[in-house]
Amino acid sequence: MIEDKKESESYVGKSIRAKEARAPLIGKAKYTNDYTFSGQLYAHILRSPHAAAKINSVDVSGAKKVSGVHLAICGQDVFNHTNGITDHLNPAIFGGKSTRLPCMAVDEAWCYGQPVAIVVAEDERTARYAASRIQVDYTPLEPIIDVEKAVAKGARSVVPGWEDNTLIYVPFMNGDTQAAFDAASHVITTDVKIHRFSSQPMETRCYNAIWEHDTESITLYGTCQNPHPLRLVIAETLRMNENKIRIIASTIGGAFGLKMHGHPEEPLICLMAKLLGRPVKWVESREECLLIGAREQQHKVEMAFDSDGVMVGLRDNVLANIGAPSACPGWGMVFLTGLTMPGPYKVENIDVHMNAVTTNKPSWNAARGYGKESTAIALELAMDNAARQLGISPIDLRLKNFIAKDSFPYNSPTGLVYDSGDYSGVLLKALETIDYQGWKDKQAAALIEGRYLGIGVAFELTPEGGTIPGTMVAGYDSSTVRVGPDGTVRVLTGITSPGTHNATAMAQIAADELGVDIAKIEVLQGDTNASPYGFGNYSGRSTIVGGGSVALAAQDVRAKINAVAAALLEVEPDTLNLVSGVFSSSAKSDATLTFAEVCYASYTRAYDVAMCIDPPLEATRTFKPPGIRHTPDENGRINPYPSYSNAVYVVVCEVDTDTGKIDLLSLAAAHDCGKVINPILVEGQVCGAFAMGLGGALSEDIQYDANGVQLTKSFKDYVMLRMADIPPIGVAHHDCPNPDNYLGLKGAGEAGVGGSAAALVNAVNDALEPLGVLMHEMPLTPSRVWSAIQNANNGEGVN
Amino acid sequence: MSLHPMYARPRDLEQASQLLASLSSGAVIIAGGQEIMPFINYGVMMPDVYVDIGGIKALKGVNVNDDEVSIGALTVHRDIQSTEDIVERLPLLAYAAQQIGGGWQVHNRGTIGGNIVSMHPLYDIAPALLALDADVELLSDKGLQRMSLLQLQNDSSHGLGSSSILTKILVKTMLPNVLWGYYKLKNSAGAYGSANAAAVIQMDGEKIKSIRIVIGAVSETSVVISKALDGYLGGAYTLEIGRAIEKVCIDAIDEPLSDQQGDGVWRKAMAGIAARRATEMALSNLTTSSIKR
Ligand SMILES: Cc1cc2nc3c(=O)[nH]c(=O)nc-3n(C[C@H](O)[C@H](O)[C@H](O)COP(=O)(O)OP(=O)(O)OC[C@H]3O[C@@H](n4cnc5c(N)ncnc54)[C@H](O)[C@@H]3O)c2cc1C
Repeated sequence: MIEDKKESESYVGKSIRAKEARAPLIGKAKYTNDYTFSGQLYAHILRSPHAAAKINSVDVSGAKKVSGVHLAICGQDVFNHTNGITDHLNPAIFGGKSTRLPCMAVDEAWCYGQPVAIVVAEDERTARYAASRIQVDYTPLEPIIDVEKAVAKGARSVVPGWEDNTLIYVPFMNGDTQAAFDAASHVITTDVKIHRFSSQPMETRCYNAIWEHDTESITLYGTCQNPHPLRLVIAETLRMNENKIRIIASTIGGAFGLKMHGHPEEPLICLMAKLLGRPVKWVESREECLLIGAREQQHKVEMAFDSDGVMVGLRDNVLANIGAPSACPGWGMVFLTGLTMPGPYKVENIDVHMNAVTTNKPSWNAARGYGKESTAIALELAMDNAARQLGISPIDLRLKNFIAKDSFPYNSPTGLVYDSGDYSGVLLKALETIDYQGWKDKQAAALIEGRYLGIGVAFELTPEGGTIPGTMVAGYDSSTVRVGPDGTVRVLTGITSPGTHNATAMAQIAADELGVDIAKIEVLQGDTNASPYGFGNYSGRSTIVGGGSVALAAQDVRAKINAVAAALLEVEPDTLNLVSGVFSSSAKSDATLTFAEVCYASYTRAYDVAMCIDPPLEATRTFKPPGIRHTPDENGRINPYPSYSNAVYVVVCEVDTDTGKIDLLSLAAAHDCGKVINPILVEGQVCGAFAMGLGGALSEDIQYDANGVQLTKSFKDYVMLRMADIPPIGVAHHDCPNPDNYLGLKGAGEAGVGGSAAALVNAVNDALEPLGVLMHEMPLTPSRVWSAIQNANNGEGVN
Repeated sequence: MSLHPMYARPRDLEQASQLLASLSSGAVIIAGGQEIMPFINYGVMMPDVYVDIGGIKALKGVNVNDDEVSIGALTVHRDIQSTEDIVERLPLLAYAAQQIGGGWQVHNRGTIGGNIVSMHPLYDIAPALLALDADVELLSDKGLQRMSLLQLQNDSSHGLGSSSILTKILVKTMLPNVLWGYYKLKNSAGAYGSANAAAVIQMDGEKIKSIRIVIGAVSETSVVISKALDGYLGGAYTLEIGRAIEKVCIDAIDEPLSDQQGDGVWRKAMAGIAARRATEMALSNLTTSSIKR
């Protein structure tokens, strides 16, 4: 038995400050835009001012006349140099429609903001100025902005040649839902409207492409979450070999799915560098970043209950306004919203219809939650509505309907296999954390004074670590662990960090497995020429597969080091102890060796004591979570997720009934992400999700006018919450380890946007229940809340 | 519109004024830059010449002559919030300046002159100054000119920003028996105001002697309401009077803004709520000394 450091010296489970967090804090991190190369040029993209228009001609001659301009080209020229952008997830694989996705509009613009021409110049100002000299002759078409209009009979097709605007329709059906509804005592219908809100990272996107003359290849410094898969997309789009592309994802200032690839600018900027033989950089403006949408869904949720309040059937019909076609994986969120039904509730009979509808709004990309947040919003608003109609407390109704703790692994009616959980326990812990009863008492007292306090809870089930067969969204990942001759450690991994500091979690795991000080570990991510092949970050997977693969590789290397240490000490490996970097043996009391001495010997004595190993001290391993099942069951269903994290969010607020303004008073969450590797990292994710979910529910809203012209262009209009809006957040952990994964890990990074948004809406409805107000349309802006109060009181107002 | 703008930093007002007169409309005055730098950075504005007035001494400082406070156009928000002569004599203005968003950068660099000249409907300085019936002084090639801020607001031919310079703001010291209130309704901490109201009330014992309310952020320009409130003078303040004031202020808004902050119906209603709350703040005895520095 190999005795490592004492328990107190291990790193996993401790709040270790992230080493890589320091540089961003002091303003010294090197983001993609901080790289500039000799001969650097800059691109500016001219975009369509129309939501739908025929492009009759594009005249770039005016731009070419501006001094300092190196290239000005239109969509047709780019089309000639490229293939369509490879889909991140091709809808056709799932029975949907697909179309060629050009980098720039050619003869028709299908959304506001679609690239129409590009200028490359000596500096950004010149490029922008020159772009304003380009003449485009458009014939505007009547745009299709609303989803109802898009699905109406005879609606014009957004994509010429498609017979209708439904990109994909996916039903999720199980049991006998009709019979369940017929036999039910109560059917409660809730119309939920989720608006278009996205994730706005502090760092917008940036691509800096370099043409490497020596190797006739491209190096792209890019804000990207998935460097290896992006390499394939660029190669295919630019008709190059994949091994001619190198991607470097530097420090990333927030991604949230928005930096998953498929964006037209990715191949476009590479093409510019290739055509010019010079480095070309493009930096996305905030206005451009706000083009990217997500989440806009309307649900008609029907829940059938028996006379005891047990849910016996669930129906939902969903229309999602996914905007114009795109190679980004945004549309897949709609699929996931349906797949995650009915969340934590034990109901067999479901009838859920998902429609991803194409319109002339700009496209979606993935956004934190990846559709699962919308499942939570729809279900949790509907549960509160049902509780109100049935006259049961929302807590009791949930407790009555949760999947029981002893039913795991649980087969969901959509084919998922939930690994583990204690949903009631998580809910009770969240209530305890916020002091639910205390707030209930305060609420009652406040109402007597004419003040409206509300308490809302919501559950979110977040399948994490997903993979889709036949796509580059893989479920596994790989890492290399390399211990140098001085005993220091280099970890190379296919996992990237969007700014969540998963490198620290991997370093903690490596340090424990190798038995070394964490200060000796360096983690390198994001360079396709250095890291083993990997898929980057998405779906809360990074610590599950990154941590798992690092652990396996570290165990292999550690076995080599042990073998050499045993050879040097002339003892059996199982008598070794490693404490504070020093090896000793229970078989030989006086002899010791440092970890570094053993490593040096491993490199330098390959023909004597290190004969027993294959040098160097290095191993590359893959972690393939065993919970995933891609072979279809008898119903043709797969389980694409290895872990099912879950959480409860609680919001306490007060509504100013004169103005409709909502003040947040207290927040809490209880979270089950399996084993917690590092509490600070997990709690940071929980708090961040709260800020995003609440911001979405209260104010973040990307709006368009009737012609499909985007009105929301800056943070003046897209108002995110600030510290002053958010009270302290109580976070509790309620861990049910995943039985299949290394250390029992489940994902922790994606959850919370839907749960916190739903808890807020439920809290506001709770506050205003005495006035008869019930709202299921987000965001709850003061003007919307105020109008609801006015309408509930027939214009009398509240006095 | 120029890709290669020129930059001028005149030493005094005379130089600045001559320079502006000699340039065509391609010139733009730059003070703290908080307003126009974002436009320039995004290429929305590409002026031929920047005239940086930051070095002109005559535009700086706060002085008191008799009972009139003179505030140089370059005075930054931080100084409006904390300069003793303003805090003591114009507490309403100091308080309104504290409500400005944008954080330290905007407070330390944004000037009162730039704020006024921007004439942005959602800003806080104009409602406060209009409630105090402030005057402004302008310099153009025609010389110095003094006019009320209200007149300036209603006159679009002032040429500020490209051919005339706002030099100072002149405000009468608030009388000791004047009560004031300022209410800013924001949708969230990072938002601009959706309805701002400044109230200045003179009391005669328990009775309201005069009342002047200015509503900002609800229409294109601030709305001054005083005569319409005459009917509520002479008595003590009651909740009914508060509601009546609310109603008068709602009715005073003809064309409410309707934007991402909220629709017109709500904005109009909020004009009333903000007015009532500013009035209540004034009457809750908030005096000069209670303002936080
Ligand atoms: C993030 C943010 C939040 C803000 N929030 C608020 C808020 O809540 N409330 C509020 O009231 N304001 C707010 N502001 C506005 C801010 O107060 C103004 O931008 C600032 O006061 C402008 O002053 P400046 O000196 O920086 O103007 P500049 O940007 O230098 O100039 C603005 C304009 O005025 C002209 N100009 C400037 N000085 C003169 C002069 N003396 N004579 C003639 N023309 C002149 C310029 O030509 C230009 O057109 C906010 C600003 C930002 C950036």
